[in-house]
Parts: sequence; structure tokens; C-alpha cells
Amino acid sequence: MITLPPYLKRGDAIGLVAPAGFMPVDKMQTCIATLEDWGYTVVLGATAQSSSENYFSGTDSERQNDLQQLLNDEHLKAILCVRGGYGTSRIIDALDFKTFRSHPKWIVGFSDITVLHSHLLSNYKIASLHAPMAAAFNNGGFNNRYVQSLKAALEGAPADYESGPHEGNRTGKASGQLVGGNLALLAHLVGTPSDANTKNKILFLEDVGEYLYNIDRMLLQLARNGKLKKLAGLIVGGFTDLKDTQRPYGQTVYDIIREHVKAYDYPVCFNFPVSHEAENYALKVGVPYKLVVRDNGVELKEKRSREA
Amino acid sequence: MDRKEFLHATGLLATGGAWHRHPTFSKPHAEQQYTIPPYLAPGAVIGITSPAGYITQEEMQPAMQVLQSWGYQLKIGATINKRDFTFGGTDAERLNDLQQLLDDADVNAILCARGGYGLVRIVDGLDWTLFKKHPKWVVGFSDVSVLHQHIHAQCGVATIHSKMTNSFPDDWSRAEPIQVQTISSIHDALAGKRMHYTVPPNGCNKPGLAEGVLIGGNLKTMESLAGTASDINTDGKLLFVEDTGEYLYSIDRMFWNLVRSGKLKNLAGLIVGGFNLKPDDEGEAFGKTLTDIVLEKIKAYHYPVVFDFPVGHQRANFALKCGVRHQLRVTNATAHLTEIT
Repeated sequence: MITLPPYLKRGDAIGLVAPAGFMPVDKMQTCIATLEDWGYTVVLGATAQSSSENYFSGTDSERQNDLQQLLNDEHLKAILCVRGGYGTSRIIDALDFKTFRSHPKWIVGFSDITVLHSHLLSNYKIASLHAPMAAAFNNGGFNNRYVQSLKAALEGAPADYESGPHEGNRTGKASGQLVGGNLALLAHLVGTPSDANTKNKILFLEDVGEYLYNIDRMLLQLARNGKLKKLAGLIVGGFTDLKDTQRPYGQTVYDIIREHVKAYDYPVCFNFPVSHEAENYALKVGVPYKLVVRDNGVELKEKRSREA
Repeated sequence: MDRKEFLHATGLLATGGAWHRHPTFSKPHAEQQYTIPPYLAPGAVIGITSPAGYITQEEMQPAMQVLQSWGYQLKIGATINKRDFTFGGTDAERLNDLQQLLDDADVNAILCARGGYGLVRIVDGLDWTLFKKHPKWVVGFSDVSVLHQHIHAQCGVATIHSKMTNSFPDDWSRAEPIQVQTISSIHDALAGKRMHYTVPPNGCNKPGLAEGVLIGGNLKTMESLAGTASDINTDGKLLFVEDTGEYLYSIDRMFWNLVRSGKLKNLAGLIVGGFNLKPDDEGEAFGKTLTDIVLEKIKAYHYPVVFDFPVGHQRANFALKCGVRHQLRVTNATAHLTEIT
């Protein structure tokens, strides 16, 4: 049985943390102001007000301690990771989830934060939020439907998303828990204690800046690990800023993905708004959804707990 | 941070002489025996195939001349001169060509013409029945690490990690010493000579003495095989890794995969080859060197570690016999890797 952390009410507190890369505090001002506007109080972890001069927001122990403190803080109802980058893998095994398990809260983020989503689901069956981070609020983003979907998710409104048709889609209906995130991170976690089971689940994938051949290799790793054959459905988000080798790979990312799932008959949809771009709906990892892929469009609807 | 400071900072120096106690390191598993294919005598046949990227026979001329000068006959596989975009033929063509050479009783060794990308696309389609009955040497590196690891895990047969046809010097008579030495090491390995390499000291090496079966290859490939049928057990073994063109953060992440999939904790020893790093992006300084990245992952362990071993995407890339027992001896003055026969 999946554990859903309590949804947030006005006046609840959200902690901000940077468990991976560095982010200057002025880049998160709109995020902070928006969260306050939504009725929450914002608590800045040490790594969210860092003066680090290298890649990370702090040393491993600084990042670990900061996240640990927020995980243990019973006054917080959610932890929003301000950005990804790289670094969660370096501290994940040192984190203690004992207090968190008895007082679960929503962990919010994507990209490198996939490590946390996958780890929480596979080890503790606790749901978390794959959703926009601080930078997505900037340049007017706080008003768009994707950042607003985070607000709705935190408040506990069940998600009901639509996405347009795509010629590569495979029609059908599927029900199952959502699992997924950044493809490179999901591949990196295979064979580790944070690796998530995908059986009977709806898998969603997105990635950025990868070579086409490497996307093929990562999908083959998932396939060879048995992660693609028993899916309920597959949601392919944005694969943006892709790179190709000097000798062209010869397949588009759609071709590559379709090839790896052609032996199965579950529904598949492409270009779903989950990505490193603005199009990035909040998705509750571990929570049951219903996916309907039709010729004229796609619907992804959260199942109410009674149906689950 | 310089190397000495790092050693102090991580407390490695404090454990002092403990590194030298390695030979008593307990072996967690009964040691598996790996089959050594028959070595090659003059007149033996080497099959050449391109299971990943594409190559023309013309590009292979320098390699073919040298291999023939060693007294070997060559069988050119159907994938040479074939091209399907970046690949040396379609998946089916590359699979069939490699399968044919694996099954051909007249072929004594299979040299992969080049790496690139593509072996993982065909490895699960290969049938190893005849190969296991009549093992032969499979030779190559980089993407061919898929074969080394798959054969190690699934067939228990030794293989040769070495340069491929695209690394032979255009004119053997004018080749530089390092080219002659590295290419000759392929000949030595195929002919059954006992391999021995001496490596200059590196201040970050961890001294010690260890014995174990050698296995390894390209780090990115190793990570991409985790959790698959080609994944290797490294317990009690000497693991070597190399890579090229990766960011430091990416190498760090790959080493975390090795840590978290249990590949570093029961090693006999670790051999770090060449890593032609991709420079950090502007304003994204990773802040750790390659040696920092490696040493922090293994600071709890006492096995010997050698850096800058001449294996990798570089001129100094010597032949290594995977699946064969070696001794690794690292002292402050030097490091030796010696095949144990």
C-alpha cells in the first residue's frame, strides 16, 4: 500500500533545499514569493542560501545534513528541491528516512531528484511529486498551467491532464501507479538499492541533452533489466536538446522508443508535458492514475483513493 | 586540493601499513574457473567483424598487413564495408556476422574491427552454445566491453581487451615505440605469452599485493550493463576501468553506480586506466579530480589501487586478458600487473 503524505493547507510550511547543484538565492525569489502567495510559509535550508563557488550547493555533508534536517522537521509539510543538476546520488545512502517514514511529507522536484522519487518508492512506498522546481517560476512561469499544477497537487486536487495527439502514439487504456522520471537517472539506478520496480505501472520518461545512441543504450538497459515488458502503459515526455553523432544515428527518438516497446501492446504516448522545458505537469510518483491514449488525444487522470 | 592533502583529508594515511595486509583479504565466494581458449599458432585464423560502428576494408589495411606478418590468416566478415547509418550493417547483419564467426570451427580468434555503439543491441540475440564448446579469443575494447562482460558473466571464457584494427599505425616501419609495443602486446596475448606490465608510480596509488581474475573495460558501458544479463560479479577480482569524453560529474555518477551495485566492496584490486576528461562547463567546476572521485569511493577498503594504468582510449592501450588470473603489486616506487599461469 502506498503512503500518501498529507496534502497542504494554508499556513503550512514548505522547506527549500538544494540537494545537488548550486542555485543563487536571487533565482528562487519568484518561487518563494509564489509559494507565500499560495498561502504557505517558506523555510530556507542552508543549501538554498548557499554561497558555494563550485558545482554543488555545498559539500556532501552540508547537503546531506540540510536535507536530513528538513526530512526530520515535523513542522514542514513539503520539501521543494530548488534545482537538480547532479549530486543526489552522492548522499542518498547516507540519509536516514526513519523520522520521515513516520511523518511523511511531499518531496518535490525532477531531473536529479528522480533519485529521491525512485528511492522513496522502492524502499518505503511513499509517494512524491515529480514537478517544476524554482527556475520554472521565473519569467512569468509562476502563472502557467504547469507551475499551477504543482499548486493543485500540493492542495490535494486530483490531477486531470490532457495532451495532444502524436503520430507515434499507441492507443489504449491503462491503470496503474506512476513511476519514472529522468531516463539517465533511472538507468543509473538500475542494480542499486534505489532501483524501482515498474511491473504493472505506468512509466513516464523524459531527458535532456543526450545523444540519440545513448538514449538507445539506456532504453536497452531498462529493457534488459525487464523494466519495459510488464508495463501498464508508457508516457514519453520531452526529450529535448538531443544531440547526434557526426555519423547520424539514423533514427528519431520516437523511432528508438517505439522499437523498444513494439513487442508489447500497452498504450504509449509521446510528447506528454513532462520535461526540462516549461511543459512539465506535476505527477505523483507512486499514485494510481488512468491513462487513455486515443487517436485524437491523451488523458492522464489521477484515480481517487477509493478507486485505488 | 593536492593529492597529499586529499589523502590526509580522507584519513587514508592514518590506516598506514594496513594496506600491505591485503593477501589475507577473505574471499567471499568460491573462485570461479574461467576457460582459456587455445592460443594462436602461426597459420591460425583471425576473423574480423564490425559488431558496432562501421568501417571499410581499406581503413583496415594497415592492421591486416601486420596481422598477416605475424603468420595469421584472416577471414573478413560480411559487416566490413557494410554501413547502416552509424552501424556496420543492420542489427541482423551484425548479429549474423558475429554469430557466424563465433560458430566457425576454422576461426581461432575474433577481432572486432572497431567500437562505437551497437553491441548491446545484438548481444541478447547471440547463441553461445558452440562458442562454449569451442571457445576462441574475442578481441577489442570500448563498446566491445559488452562482449567481455557478457562472455565473462554468461560463458566464463577469457577474452582480450585491446586495441582494434582502427588503431594500427598506417606505416608499421615508421611506427612510434608506443604503437609498436601496444600492437605487439595483442600478438603476445594471442600467442599465449605471459603478460607483464610495469607502471610508473603515481602519488595516489594505494600500495598492496593482490591476486585475482582480471575483468573490466569501459566504465560507461559497465554502468549501462548493471542489472542486465551481461552484468558481472567483481568479487575477489582485479577490476580495470577506463573511459573517454565524459564529464567529471558523469564519471562520479558512474562510480556511484559501481558502489551502489556492490561492485567495489569485495575487489582484490582496482586498476584505473585513462580517462580523457571532458572539461567542466563554464561556471560548473566539479571541484574533484578523477583520483579524488575514485579514492573517496574506496576509502573503506584496503585493496591495492593503481592509477594511470596504460589502458584506455589513448595510444598507451595495452592488451589485457580478461578472465585470466593476474597478480597486482603496487609499491610506492612502482606497480606491476603480472599474469599468473
